[in-house]
Amino acid sequence: MPSTGFLSVRIDFSQSHLFFPTIIHWILLVLAIAIALVYGPGLIREFREGKRRLLPKGSDVDVLRLGGTLILTVAYFVSMDWVGQFFPNRGLGFLIMSVPFMFGLSLLYVHGLTWRRFAVIGLSSTISPTVAWYTLAQLFHITLP
Amino acid sequence: MEFLSALTPLFFGLVGFGVVVGIIFGAIPGMTATMAVAVCLPMTYGLDLTNGLALLLGLYVGGISGGLVPAILLNIPGTPSSITTTFDGYPMTQKGEGERALKTGIASSLFGGLLSALVLFLFAPTLADFAIKFSYIEKFLIILFALTVIASLSKRLLLGIFSGVLGVWLSLIGAYDVSVGGNGEYRLMFGFMEPYLESGFSLLPVLIGLFGLATIFQEAEAGIREEVAGDLKLEAGKPFSFAVFRGQIVNLFRSSAIGTFVGMLPGVGGSAASVLSYTQQKNFSKDPSKLGKGAPEGVIASESANNGLTGGALIPLLSLGIPGDSTTAVLIGAFTLQGIQLGPLFIGENLATWDTMMVALVFANLVMFAVMFFAIRHIVKVITIPKYLLYPGIIMMCVVGAYAINYGIMFDVWTLLLFGILGYLGQKVGLEIAPLIIGFILGQQAEVYFVKSLESFGTLSIFFTKSPIAMFLWVLIGISVAYSIFGLIKARQRDRDHGPDQ
Repeated sequence: MPSTGFLSVRIDFSQSHLFFPTIIHWILLVLAIAIALVYGPGLIREFREGKRRLLPKGSDVDVLRLGGTLILTVAYFVSMDWVGQFFPNRGLGFLIMSVPFMFGLSLLYVHGLTWRRFAVIGLSSTISPTVAWYTLAQLFHITLP
Repeated sequence: MEFLSALTPLFFGLVGFGVVVGIIFGAIPGMTATMAVAVCLPMTYGLDLTNGLALLLGLYVGGISGGLVPAILLNIPGTPSSITTTFDGYPMTQKGEGERALKTGIASSLFGGLLSALVLFLFAPTLADFAIKFSYIEKFLIILFALTVIASLSKRLLLGIFSGVLGVWLSLIGAYDVSVGGNGEYRLMFGFMEPYLESGFSLLPVLIGLFGLATIFQEAEAGIREEVAGDLKLEAGKPFSFAVFRGQIVNLFRSSAIGTFVGMLPGVGGSAASVLSYTQQKNFSKDPSKLGKGAPEGVIASESANNGLTGGALIPLLSLGIPGDSTTAVLIGAFTLQGIQLGPLFIGENLATWDTMMVALVFANLVMFAVMFFAIRHIVKVITIPKYLLYPGIIMMCVVGAYAINYGIMFDVWTLLLFGILGYLGQKVGLEIAPLIIGFILGQQAEVYFVKSLESFGTLSIFFTKSPIAMFLWVLIGISVAYSIFGLIKARQRDRDHGPDQ
């Protein structure tokens, strides 16, 4: 079919990987500008009047639990990979690190810690990873760290 | 009858197991059917396709159904789609009719689920047969249509579209795949990322991050509050009997049909279906003033619609390869994992699988009914499992899902964290996760269809003139865009009349 008129397009194969992303960039840019125009003035007004802040008030955010979750998760991922290297392909990095991770996170999340709850947390954080490891790595032969 | 050989006791056992786990997830506030499917995905790695699907469909049906428990007992929707169940279900609990409300909801769920399964069975193959004739041009237009529908149903139009396009952008990161006719060049990243991102971000870690981890970050921010159920008097008032459905047959059919239809629209999500059917019931009710004060008809409308979604959302998924909601988006990942490419050819080429899926779906609905109807008093206790025990376990399962998906790549676990944080922060600035995910899933296909069409025809006008179907799709796109603009104007007017907070 002959390509004529202003709608005709030629795509250079060696550069074709950038053709669609470029279009997407333009669309995102136009949308961003539109969003700024539609919501911007209202937002600026709210900031000026103090109805909205860049960071939420400390009392609205449980900094300890949120921050703790992030730190524990990162530590969990890093240590699991590291420990796993000593026992390749057995999923032991996962098992060994999941226990302290779950224990720590449960302690972080619990409100009103009692001895009873402490014991339940201890049991749960030992049993769940073990069951998960046994079913997945041993029965289903799924690769774990 | 080839499929009968696949129906082993294991198959039915897995459906049942999936339903029970799904119900538990659905019943715990803050955890959804999407999360149930995402978290349990690793279990399917070791199963074959039929059994894997059995488990997943069980989880899907169970997860959607379980949401009515906290909606009715705690006034907290367990899944977004059970929001309207709270309107009448909770007042019924307050009157001591908790068990009556639960059982009414459960029976309605069964009806909605079965009707939508029937619609799926009748329509998906027809739609697929029709779609087989589609060329790249029509396929591109279908994706464009899907994206405009998402936009029109987002909470805020512009942000919804932006999220969808951002999803497309994220999907393009990596090499332009040679296997689909690309030139194999990397784009949208720095050189040091190339070894990790050759084929872009894997779908499942992205999904699990956005739906699993992000939810936990949100809950952690709020301080992991436990919902206190207090003393629940389930059956102090009127007991349940099927007489509650007298005069509600039209309501049942209408609400299930609305649920199924809304489920078919890509990216709409459950809450739209139940809200729509609830308002319709309010319009048609003999005594609308009762609704919202503990009328069983409200529970019927809401619950039959939200289970109607299950079959509806599977229609575009199985016939076009386009997910109808976030849960089916995760299902796409599960299919890919089993080496199945969803699209118009799927049903025709996998007739046995298709038949077993239908069996699983119907069976899942029946199990859901049996389990919930007769064991509801035990299931109710699930909502008292403390979150401090639950959430750490969920993060652990998220890790398994992400790590094992490509047979052990630590980068996928980091992807999980990255998208968990993105989902958490994104929602704060108004990004909408469902459009983002659907853009992400469809992005790469959109690129191939678009670029390849232009390479062979050399003109943009081909998208309008290729075939009558193409023109028809443009009409649909036009209607969808017009609908969203109309909605926007209406919302503006309402804001002006009542103030933006109304």
